[in-house]
Amino acid sequence: MKISLDWLKDYIELDLSLPDLIEKLNMIGLIVEDREEQGSDVILDIETYANRPDTLGHLGIARELAAALDLGLKEQKWPLTEFEQKTSELVDVQIWEDDLCPRYSGIVVKGIQVGPSPEWLRKRIEAMGLKPVNNVVDMTNYVLYATAHPIHAFDLAKISGGRIIIRKANGGEVLRSLEDSDIALTPEMLVIADGKKPVALAGIIGGEESSVKESTQDVFIESAFFDPISIRKTSKKTGISTDASYRFERGADISFPPQAALMAASLLTQFGGRASEGITDAYPKPRKEKTVVLRHHRVSDLLGLEIDEEFSVRTLGSLGFQVEVQQEGVWQVKIPHFRVDIEREADLVEEIARFYGYDKIPASVPPLRVLEPPMEPRREKINKIRHLLFHNGFDEVLNFSFSDPEKEARLQTGYKAIEIRNPISSKASLLKTTLLGGLLENIVWNKNRGAEGIHLFEIGNIYFWQKETSREQLTLTLASTGPVGPVQWRRKSEETDFFRVKGALESVLTYLRHEPFSFKEEDHPLFEQKFSLALIFKEATVGYCGLLKRNLLDSFSLKDPVWAAELNLALLFKKQPYSFQYTPVSRFPSITRDVSFIADQNVDYQDIKEVVEKLNIPNLKEFDIYDRFSGSSIPKGKISLSVRFVFLHPQRTLLAKEVDELQEKIIDSLVTKFKFQLRKGGKIDKRIRKD
Amino acid sequence: MKDFKAKIEEHKERFEKALTRAIDEKSLQEVRNTYMSRKRGALKLLFEELKTLKPEDRAEAGQMINKLKMHVQKKIESSLKKLTVPKPLARERRIDLTLPGQKEYWGAQHPVSLFQQEMENIFIAMGFSIEEGPEIETDYYNFEALNFPPYHPARDDWDTLYITDDLLLRTHTSPVQIRAMEKRKPPIRIIVPGKVYRRETPDPTHLPMFYQLEGLVVDKGITFAHLKGTLEHFLKTLFYEKIKIRFRPSFFPFTEPSAEVDIECIVCGGKDEECRVCDGSGWKEILGSGMVDPQVLKNVNVDPEEYAGFAFGMGIDRTAMFAYQIPDIRYFYENDLRFTRQFNLK
Repeated sequence: MKISLDWLKDYIELDLSLPDLIEKLNMIGLIVEDREEQGSDVILDIETYANRPDTLGHLGIARELAAALDLGLKEQKWPLTEFEQKTSELVDVQIWEDDLCPRYSGIVVKGIQVGPSPEWLRKRIEAMGLKPVNNVVDMTNYVLYATAHPIHAFDLAKISGGRIIIRKANGGEVLRSLEDSDIALTPEMLVIADGKKPVALAGIIGGEESSVKESTQDVFIESAFFDPISIRKTSKKTGISTDASYRFERGADISFPPQAALMAASLLTQFGGRASEGITDAYPKPRKEKTVVLRHHRVSDLLGLEIDEEFSVRTLGSLGFQVEVQQEGVWQVKIPHFRVDIEREADLVEEIARFYGYDKIPASVPPLRVLEPPMEPRREKINKIRHLLFHNGFDEVLNFSFSDPEKEARLQTGYKAIEIRNPISSKASLLKTTLLGGLLENIVWNKNRGAEGIHLFEIGNIYFWQKETSREQLTLTLASTGPVGPVQWRRKSEETDFFRVKGALESVLTYLRHEPFSFKEEDHPLFEQKFSLALIFKEATVGYCGLLKRNLLDSFSLKDPVWAAELNLALLFKKQPYSFQYTPVSRFPSITRDVSFIADQNVDYQDIKEVVEKLNIPNLKEFDIYDRFSGSSIPKGKISLSVRFVFLHPQRTLLAKEVDELQEKIIDSLVTKFKFQLRKGGKIDKRIRKD
Repeated sequence: MKDFKAKIEEHKERFEKALTRAIDEKSLQEVRNTYMSRKRGALKLLFEELKTLKPEDRAEAGQMINKLKMHVQKKIESSLKKLTVPKPLARERRIDLTLPGQKEYWGAQHPVSLFQQEMENIFIAMGFSIEEGPEIETDYYNFEALNFPPYHPARDDWDTLYITDDLLLRTHTSPVQIRAMEKRKPPIRIIVPGKVYRRETPDPTHLPMFYQLEGLVVDKGITFAHLKGTLEHFLKTLFYEKIKIRFRPSFFPFTEPSAEVDIECIVCGGKDEECRVCDGSGWKEILGSGMVDPQVLKNVNVDPEEYAGFAFGMGIDRTAMFAYQIPDIRYFYENDLRFTRQFNLK
C-alpha cells in the first residue's frame, strides 16, 4: 500500500524524522518496503496483511501511528451544498440480497462540471501511482485511498427508472465493463441493476454505459458494504480484481458507507455540484459491534512478562476499542467495525504486544518436559545411505519434483503420473514418476560444462496415482558415467561400469543390514536387454540396476554409456533388517585356500556360489571370487576363475588334513557340475593365515 | 702366559681400530678376513700358538681366544647390519616427498541438504525431534485446519499448485503441525524439514519448489518469551553469537500474535544504502513465527486454555543463500558439480 506522507498529515501531526517514522511503523508491524521522494512528498510502500483491510488507506495507517505515538487524529469536516430534494426521491434503492449486500448508501450530486481535477487532487492521485482521469473518477479514487472504503459513481441519467436494485444476475445477462469487455454474468454473481439491466458488478467493477463521462452532469454515488466471500468468488470467477474488490474481499467497515458517501458528495460540491438532501441508507439488519472478553492475566500468560493494566487500557483505547471492566482483571472490549481481524482474546493480546514492543519481551528457553528420539529410523537410514554413497564417490543432487510429460513418457515407468491442474509451465505439468530424468539432465548439464566422470544420486519422492489415491514413494536413484575421480600421478582413474553401480546398491543393503539379498536377471524398460538385474530382498523386487538404453540416452544427447540403479526405499524400509547379534571372534587360526579353475565362459558366478552354498560345508567361513580372466594363456571359450575359501572353527585349530577333505569335496562337485578343470600350475595353496 | 694375555689384548685393540676405519662392506670383509680367515687369520695363528704354552695354561688361553673370536664376529656382524639399513636411501635416488598424496574420491552433499542438517542439529540439541509429512496435501491440512477459511484472501499469499479441487502440493510445512498434534498430545517439540511448492515462476529469488523448516512447540505455559529464546539461540548458533536479531509484528492465519524475525544484514551490516542483499535496510527477514492460534489448537482438540505453543518456519535454501551470499536461488537446482562440490567442507 502506497502511503503519502503529505496525505498522512491530513490526519495526524507528524514531527519525527523519516527514519524514526519508518522504524516506528516497522515495529508495529507495518513494514516499509520501499520509499520514494516525490517533490516535497515522500511515498512509502507499506506491506499490509490480508487480515487488515483497514490499513489499505491513509486513515487506517494514521490510526495505527496515532496509537503508536500517543497522538490524536485530526478531525475532518465534509460540508455539503444541497438542493432541495431528498435522495430517496431521486433514487429508489432496493436490496434484494441482504446477505450479500447488508448495507447500501448513496447520494446524488447534480450539476457537476466534469473536467480535470484541481492540483491538490491530481497530486494525491499521482502519489498513488495513478494517472488523473477527471474530477469525478479522481474523487472516487481519493476516497478509496484515503479511507480504504471503495465507492462508485454512476451517471444518474443512465440509471433507468431511477432504480438501484442489488440482486443476483440472471442467467445470460452481460455487463460491458469500463475496460470495454463483456462480462458474462452467472446467477450467483451479485450485481447492481437499474430498472432494466445490470449497471455494475457489485463491489468489483462498474459498467461502461453508466460510467461518468465528459457529458455527465448528475451522478449517483454508491457507498456500500458487500459480503467478502461473494466478492471473492465473483472476482476469481471473472478474473477481475480491482482496488475495490481487493478491499471488499478482505472486509470493509460496515459502519462507514454513509460517511464515505458524504465525503464524496462534499468533494463533488467543491467542483460545482449540489447534493441531494440526506443520504439514502439501506441497512436492513444493523450489526452490533463485536465484544471480546479479555482476561488480563492471559496477556502475561501468552507473552511471558507482566504488562501494566493501565498500558493495556490506554493502547486498546487509542486503537479505537472501548474497554469496559466487567470484574477485576476481566474486561469487555468493544471492537470497532473497521477492525475485522479482532475476534478473540488472543487477537487483543497481539494488539497489546504490538504496541508494547516485541523487542521488550524477554527471551527464555522453554522447559524440556519430555524427551523423544531425535528422528525416526527412516530418517536415520537416509542419512546413513547418503554418507555411504559419498564414500563411494557419488555426489548428491536435488531436483525439482516437476516433470515434462514428453520426457516422462520416454522414461516409461509404468506409473500413472499425477498432473498439476495449474502448472507454472506445460513443461512442468507432471510430478515425477522417477528421479532418473532429473539425474540425466544433471549429467547433460555437467558434461556440457566440461565434466567427464559424473556419478550422482538423489533421494526423494516419486509421485503417482494408485487407483484413486495419490502416492509418494521414497526412492534412491543412482546414475554413473565416465571416469571415477580426477587423474592422479599414482594411479590411473578407472572408468565406471555396471559393477560400480551394483556395488553401491550392495553396500547400501549390507550397511542397512538388509541381508541376505539377491539379484535376478530381468529385463526392464529403462535398461538394455540382458543388461539389467532386479534386486530381491525378502521375496520382493526392491530395485534395479543396469545399462541405460541407447535410445533413451540418445534422447538426452548422451553419447557415453550411463549406468543407473533405482532402489525403492519406501518398500525396503518397510521390511525388517536382520537383527544384529555380535559373533565371538575365534581365537583359532583360519585356513585360506586359493583354487584356480579353467571354466566354460558361460558359467555364471551366481550358479557356482549356489552350488557351494548348497554343499553346506562345515566351518567354511568365506567364499569369494578374486580373479577372473581370459586370454591367450586360456583356451578359447574358456575363462580362468580363481576362488578363495576360508575355513575357520570357532573352538579349535583346524587340521590341514580335514580342510583338504572339505576342499576336495567342493572341487569335486564343481568339476562334476560345471566340468571345471583345475588350472595347470594352479596348485592347491596350503597357506595358513593367522588372523 | 702373561705375554699371551697381552697379545690377546693387543689384537683386540687393533681390531677395534680397524673396525672404526672400515666404512663399507668391502673393508669390513677385509677386517673379518684378517682375523677369521681359516688359513692365515690372526685367530688361527693364536690357536696354533696354544701348543707353545704350558699344558696347565692351555685351557685358560683357549677360552681367551674364543672370547675374542666371538667379540670379533659380533662386532663385524653388527657393523655390517648398520651398513645395510641406510643403503637404499644413501645409494639410490631420493623419493620426492613433495609429490601430492593419494586422494580418495568422495561425493559431496548437496548444499541445501547440508544446510538442512546443520539446522536440524541445532534443534536436536535443544530437544526437538524431526517429523515428516506428505508433500501432496489436502486443502484441510494445508489451509483450513491452519485457520485459512475458504475464500479467504490470505490464501493469495500462498499461491498454490492444485492437483484436484481438494488435493494440492503443500505450500508450507505447516500442515505437519496439524498432523503431529492429531497423532499425539502435548508436550510437543518438533521440527519439520521438507519440500514445499508455490505457483511461482523461477527467478533469482523465487522457485516453484523449495525447502522449508518448520518448528512447533506445544506445552503448558509456553510463552512468546520462549519463542524468542528458542529462535535467538538457533540464529546465534547458525550465524554467530553476536548477531543482531529483531522480532516485529506480522500476520499469519495460524499464529496469534505473529512475528517476523529479521537478522542484521551479514553482508553490509546496515552500512550500505545500496546493499543488494538488504536493500539498505540493514535487516534481512529470515523467519516467520508466532504463538499457535487458539483456533488451530481447537482444530486438533487441544484446549487453548490449558496449552499454548509457538511455531516458526523458514526457507532452508533461502537462508543458505543468505548465509553463503549466493545471488541466485536457482544455482541450487542446476546441480552444477563445480558449485555443489564446494560445500563439502564447512
